[in-house]
Amino acid sequence: MATMAATIDHAHAHVDDRSFLRKYIFSTDHKIIGIQFLMLSLLFLLIGGLLAMMMRWELGFPTQPMPGGTLLPETMAPGGILLPEFYNSLVTMHGTFMVFFAIMPLLVGVFANYLIPLKLGAPDMAFPRLNMASFWIAVPAGVLMLAGFFVEGGAAGAGWTSYAPLSANAEYSGVSLGQELWCLSLVVLGLSSILGATNYITTVINMRAPGMTWFRMPLSIWSLFITAILTLLAIPILSGAAIMLLFDQTIGTTFFLPAEGGQPLLWQHLFWFFGHPEVYILILPAMGMVSDIIANGARKPIFGYHSMVYAIIGIGFLGWIVWGHHMFQSGMNPTLGTTFMISTMLIAVPSAIKTFNWLGTLWRGNIRLHVPMLHACAFVAMFVIGGLSGVYMASTPVDIYIHDTYFIVAHLHYVLFGGSLFALFGAITFWYPKMFGRMMNPLLGKAHFWLTFLFYNLTFFPMHELGLQGHMRRIYDPTQYAFLQHLQPLNEFITLSAFLLFAVQLIFAVNFIMSWWNGKKASPNPWEDTGLEWSTPSPPPHGNWPETPTVHHAPYEFSSPLVQEDYLMQNRKVEGAPAAAASRTE
Amino acid sequence: MEQTEHAKHPPYVGIFAALAVLTALELGVAFFENWPKRVIILVLVFLAIWKALLVALYYMHLRFEPNRLRILALAPLPLAVILVIAVITEYVW
Amino acid sequence: MAHAAVMRPPAPAEPGAGVYNAKLGMWVFLGSEVMFFTALIGSYIILRFGNEQYWAQPAQILNVPITAFNTFWLICSSVTMVKAFAAAQDGNQKALRGWLVATVVIGAMFVGIQAYEYAQLIHLGFLPSGYRAGSELAEAAAAGTPYHGSALPASVSLYGATFYTMTGFHGFHVTMGVICMAFVTWKAFRGSYTATDHRGVEVIGLYWHFVDLVWIILFTIVYLI
Repeated sequence: MATMAATIDHAHAHVDDRSFLRKYIFSTDHKIIGIQFLMLSLLFLLIGGLLAMMMRWELGFPTQPMPGGTLLPETMAPGGILLPEFYNSLVTMHGTFMVFFAIMPLLVGVFANYLIPLKLGAPDMAFPRLNMASFWIAVPAGVLMLAGFFVEGGAAGAGWTSYAPLSANAEYSGVSLGQELWCLSLVVLGLSSILGATNYITTVINMRAPGMTWFRMPLSIWSLFITAILTLLAIPILSGAAIMLLFDQTIGTTFFLPAEGGQPLLWQHLFWFFGHPEVYILILPAMGMVSDIIANGARKPIFGYHSMVYAIIGIGFLGWIVWGHHMFQSGMNPTLGTTFMISTMLIAVPSAIKTFNWLGTLWRGNIRLHVPMLHACAFVAMFVIGGLSGVYMASTPVDIYIHDTYFIVAHLHYVLFGGSLFALFGAITFWYPKMFGRMMNPLLGKAHFWLTFLFYNLTFFPMHELGLQGHMRRIYDPTQYAFLQHLQPLNEFITLSAFLLFAVQLIFAVNFIMSWWNGKKASPNPWEDTGLEWSTPSPPPHGNWPETPTVHHAPYEFSSPLVQEDYLMQNRKVEGAPAAAASRTE
Repeated sequence: MEQTEHAKHPPYVGIFAALAVLTALELGVAFFENWPKRVIILVLVFLAIWKALLVALYYMHLRFEPNRLRILALAPLPLAVILVIAVITEYVW
Repeated sequence: MAHAAVMRPPAPAEPGAGVYNAKLGMWVFLGSEVMFFTALIGSYIILRFGNEQYWAQPAQILNVPITAFNTFWLICSSVTMVKAFAAAQDGNQKALRGWLVATVVIGAMFVGIQAYEYAQLIHLGFLPSGYRAGSELAEAAAAGTPYHGSALPASVSLYGATFYTMTGFHGFHVTMGVICMAFVTWKAFRGSYTATDHRGVEVIGLYWHFVDLVWIILFTIVYLI
């Protein structure tokens, strides 16, 4: 039975005689699919960034012609001046692209695909063809979303949360086809995510190499596993809600329109019931990969491995009962408000456990500050800032004051950019040699890191101040409010910092592309790491290993006294080490 | 897979008969005017859950699966209950 | 060298869920289906809870007799499905093919009957957006005259919206099931399933019974309550 459980297509493991199309385009190899997701989501990251730049121009220099703005059609920016309607689309599509098409596929599509089989010693995913389908369903979803900009009425403009009734009727937001495409695109993307999650969960449960017990899985895999469960169960709620919203817009139903009994709050509840697990989908994999990188950079086993695992599971559970903290100001039942306030504060506990464990890992470590490590440390620091502002927004009375201000914008960018994106830059640099067989340039990497870190903080930290002064989010022209006029210099400063932040990403792009040609050739294990993926060539062949590896050790055996090197790979058999079978019983 | 030789199958046709009878019972109860609506709803929900359990346990053979799989199959249900109960409080309280 | 790799045995693995990949994968996927129907059915429960005045009595608008028959019919398809699975376990190819064909036919007929039911309801004036202006139902509702026992609600837009969304997506799932089942049947005729390996039959069966299970819930809460 056990052997049958892992029967997979292994006939191709030897000579790679697949055609170009089967090898690089319609590939069923998890590594190629991971790289395909990488290219797709980096493209959307760029698009999302460009949209943000346009927004920043409008906020820093309201109603002035944008440089290069005359390139945009009259319906978006006549004479280079952004129209308010177009600004609404920018806000909406920036959020949508970044959350659904950049960060989420970067974390899950790329690294779940790439790392799960490689770190578990499996030759591929459980369902390779389903995996390919998952990528090729995500592509049309992206096209549908982008198409919004080119249709009559422009792209969706009701915010990335698309609150009803604003989003439910074209008369309210002025956008009809764009909003429908938004719903449709998310339903299609949801199908892609669900197929992916099904694959990841099955692979993690059923396809671990011999000796890879649950508590020998690296934390990156634990977090990707819990993330896949959250994706599997949260995304269908969004799909259902988006379908109902689509029906409200197209065939005249009234799910979310209050005129004949519809319930606008139902949309918010459904959206955030999906949306809060989504928040953890966007941060858990980052936490897991940062744990891997920090253990490597500190040359120490991760501090409190078991507590890290339980914290991930705890966040996975608690993530389902905190959604109402997005709705304190929605007119929701106040009894619920208190409940959600308490559960939200509870979730700070597992997050704090993780933070202290990272610090414990760094403590007296033999630290190697390579580029991924720099990004991982920045992740911890920025996550603490974003997490702490989260704790006091969780308190209802405080939230009433800062709700829907730039304070929230600052908070979410501290966790999404300062958290997830820094972790992603680190992870891409860390696994780049495995993916492409070459190292990224460390000098350019360091330059990119420090400049990004600087301009990132100059961009987003002042937003806390804007928010506390009452600057609303999603407004077109702050100068039309007398009480915001004195903040305009700060807004200009943020805009300039944001432009510089965007510009220094060019270093990363150059590094990423150039290293592909002329980067230093990577050895199988350039970072001297302990994971299974480093025991196979860079890049690994189709099928990953000629023979399935056997795992003998816990995931982070750095500085182990059993071997001379300061790292002990998971599949390296050492005389005198505790037998592999001993830990099977745990 | 599990059974290679001729295995003894669960009483599939018996379950089918039970499902048919329960459906008929539901129809009878639903149009039984003498009971208060609340009681009718309770009885109907009870019967529906009974039928659903029969399908899940025998036709989807959850009864014969390892416990791990049963837990996995039931895992989403608490979330469904949490969502519905929390949102219903928008109308009561 | 290359030949040694070809001869590689199936990858060994840690004991996982204790079932093979495709079956585990189907159960995992059904977990997401549960949540999808939670979104639709949950919204129905919530909206109805707050708006009982907008709901008609059971059988006042909806055609319960024909749906009751359809329910019975879908249960029949479930029993033919398990019979096919049992036949596959016994290695009885002829019975396997026969029961699979029966399941496909019954499934397709379920969808056909549902399409007929929709056509009838739309003709009557019951749309996802509520009453169709000028229809029989709209006039009865406006006049307040008793219709099949009692007066109709002033608006049925929520009733129509939830009814068509829930039953429509269920019908969509049945249609998908019929297509996949036709594929499995085609494979069965090619002799792909043996007494030792009939995973395809078991996995499609799980999906089929799940869709049946959802209908059991839907029939009760949409048509009878």
